[in-house]
Amino acid sequence: MSDKILSKSKIQDYLKALAEKFTVVAPMPRRDAPAEFVEINSGDEPILDGSQPMMPPKDYLLPRYETLLKVDRGPEGVKIESTIPEDKPRVMLGVWLPDAQAIQVLDRVFLDKNFVDPYYAARRQNTLIAAVIPKEPRWSWFCSSVDDVENWRKNVDAIFYDLGDRYFVESESEKGQALVDVSAMSEAGDEDNAEKDKVWRRFAEQDILPFARKALYEQLEWDNPIWAEIAQKCLGCGICSYMCPSCSCFDIRDDMHDICIERYRCRDTCQFEDFTLMGAGHNPRPTQLPRSRQRLLHKFKYQHEQFGVVGCTGCGRCVELCPVNVDIRDVLSRTCVEEV
Amino acid sequence: MSEIENKIREEARKALESGEISLVIGWGEGSVPFKTTPVFVEKADDVDKLVWNKFCVNNLAVYLPKTARDRKVGIVAKPCDIRSIVTLIQEKQIKRENVFIIALGCGGVADATVPGESTPRQMCLLCEKRQPAIYDVVIGESVPLEEPRAQIIPELLEERQKYWAEQFSKCIRCYACRQVCPACYCRLCFADRVEPRWTARKATADEAWMFHSTRVMHLAGRCIQCGECERVCPVGIPVAELAREMAAVIKANYNYEAGDPKEVAPVLGQFREDDVDPAQHSE
Amino acid sequence: MAEETAVINKRSEEIAEASDEWQPTILGILCNWCSYAGADLAGSARLHYPETIRIIRVPCSGRVDPMFVLKGFQKGFDGVMVLGCHPGDCHYAKGNYYARRRIALVQNLLKSLGIPEERFHFEWVSASEGNRFAQLVTEFTEQIKALGPFEGVAKV
Repeated sequence: MSDKILSKSKIQDYLKALAEKFTVVAPMPRRDAPAEFVEINSGDEPILDGSQPMMPPKDYLLPRYETLLKVDRGPEGVKIESTIPEDKPRVMLGVWLPDAQAIQVLDRVFLDKNFVDPYYAARRQNTLIAAVIPKEPRWSWFCSSVDDVENWRKNVDAIFYDLGDRYFVESESEKGQALVDVSAMSEAGDEDNAEKDKVWRRFAEQDILPFARKALYEQLEWDNPIWAEIAQKCLGCGICSYMCPSCSCFDIRDDMHDICIERYRCRDTCQFEDFTLMGAGHNPRPTQLPRSRQRLLHKFKYQHEQFGVVGCTGCGRCVELCPVNVDIRDVLSRTCVEEV
Repeated sequence: MSEIENKIREEARKALESGEISLVIGWGEGSVPFKTTPVFVEKADDVDKLVWNKFCVNNLAVYLPKTARDRKVGIVAKPCDIRSIVTLIQEKQIKRENVFIIALGCGGVADATVPGESTPRQMCLLCEKRQPAIYDVVIGESVPLEEPRAQIIPELLEERQKYWAEQFSKCIRCYACRQVCPACYCRLCFADRVEPRWTARKATADEAWMFHSTRVMHLAGRCIQCGECERVCPVGIPVAELAREMAAVIKANYNYEAGDPKEVAPVLGQFREDDVDPAQHSE
Repeated sequence: MAEETAVINKRSEEIAEASDEWQPTILGILCNWCSYAGADLAGSARLHYPETIRIIRVPCSGRVDPMFVLKGFQKGFDGVMVLGCHPGDCHYAKGNYYARRRIALVQNLLKSLGIPEERFHFEWVSASEGNRFAQLVTEFTEQIKALGPFEGVAKV
């Protein structure tokens, strides 16, 4: 595949060229909040270098609130309106590589061959993903500790490496060629290549933690005493799951507006007390301990067993944002200690 | 700081060895230098886990209703945390004799999200009540903060509505603000009720508005302004500002402050015949 | 008195006749024993007051949960009104005294949130004050009309 250089002074030209073929989705900055993936307009200045905190790309592919259908009763009778989004060519730029890999996890859930979620598919199936490797990896990332990141390259369409005043752009797939065959770009030289390798190595060699990857799937056990320790301080909020790029649990609810019914999907989390609450009042996970245990076993063990893909991609958001400093890196270091 | 840490550990050790107290809740070293984490010390040998520094931000009173129900629990507490403890006792969620308070003098905490950068907490810049309201032992002395505090929300009414609309559009309804708050201990929160459904769990700005404005009303006269709700918000909504303005009005109108041991009833659970009358038509 | 009634009636009729103009939708929360009875009296005396108000009856103004006011604005009412018995006249002796504190705080909260205070009205209306009730609703309707439709709590 080909490699090119995109000078940062040419970003607007590049975005304009892409906008002729794609709907461009990129992180836009917000006041006092992480950047958010939105469809950008001409002239917008998205954050493409991965240098700032951002909401996960799942917020675009699987929105926090999405209308699934509307039922209206008007003079002509009952009318049902589907709200499946438009399936148009899209490209997502500025995606952290761990977030891009997390999209693989979402794909396993929502593009399963036995049931394709039409809302997710409409936003995903014609979307190119361009990952970014920032100059310095974020302090909280631990990607190489959970997986072999070399294998992640083939799951994206292009990778942008931040070399300071320019990006080294590498296409990773056939479709990704469309992201490098743009006149705003120039040829990459040997020096560029060498710098790009340094950026990659800084990312790939970041802080390998003392837990073995294989052990994750095989050593996390139901009766480990660490669950009680976590549950003691865990507040049971939704930050880890809502901000996680691969967590996708949702609830479906109905709302009435006058005589129109709206069925919508919204986020849900296994950390809330009512997640497993049943109609008759029984709750199989009534306390924080089974809830904390569930999340970690699901993310690190069950998803791998089910899908063959690691549930956690080391993006570090839960590490940064947990109000009580439940640091998953520490949890794994203490529970998965030996190469199995 | 180390001397205070030693005294904290000493008091915790004495408490655990006395046989009356089976748990001491305090702060321990976090997984990174700019964080601490709540620790639950049950054995006297483990008291060295307890630390004290400007990153001891958590209001640990949030753990008391569950842990101190049927036993005596020790807690290391800043003056603001102690105001929460007072509120919990006043509202009969815990008994005074079930809490052993190791009170600390405080010079304000710092909020840090990246290594190397920390800022003094905004709420601390306004804190006037730095003396522990109740305690069993006191360690250290409070130090006033000199920095002036910036105005956070717009002054002009017309700008405020847009300001809050923008802020609430960020809300993801993670409920971290509620879960971290010691005053939010309801078994079933109004926001989780489905019959009637006061607010849908949709992450839209108007539903978030309903959730946050109602929560502030439910905290009226109960919020002690520790600022934890703002600290934990992953999208930076200054939720504590509304509670702060509410507390200022409650003080001005009714001379009532949350977390003050002299109060005998909640501010909305009492009245005076000469209360300020909000009726708008003078006859 | 008859003159004042005539004036209020006329103003209210003018509002009704301007039916092609935008009419506000107002939520009224009235206590059963005084203000609702006052509204009833206005009705039985055939006093004209605008149809803009939608009334919810509660046993006492002390029953008014601040959430009702907030929910009203969230749902898109252009104005919200809470009416109760005069202090000292509460059917349950003390309910309206508790209401005073709660309503004062909800007024303050609306101010903090930037909702114009003219969109919320709180007043004491007794069972015999049918005239005053009609006047109140007419004036409040005119006030809201001047402000225009409520753009919603979360309009960016």
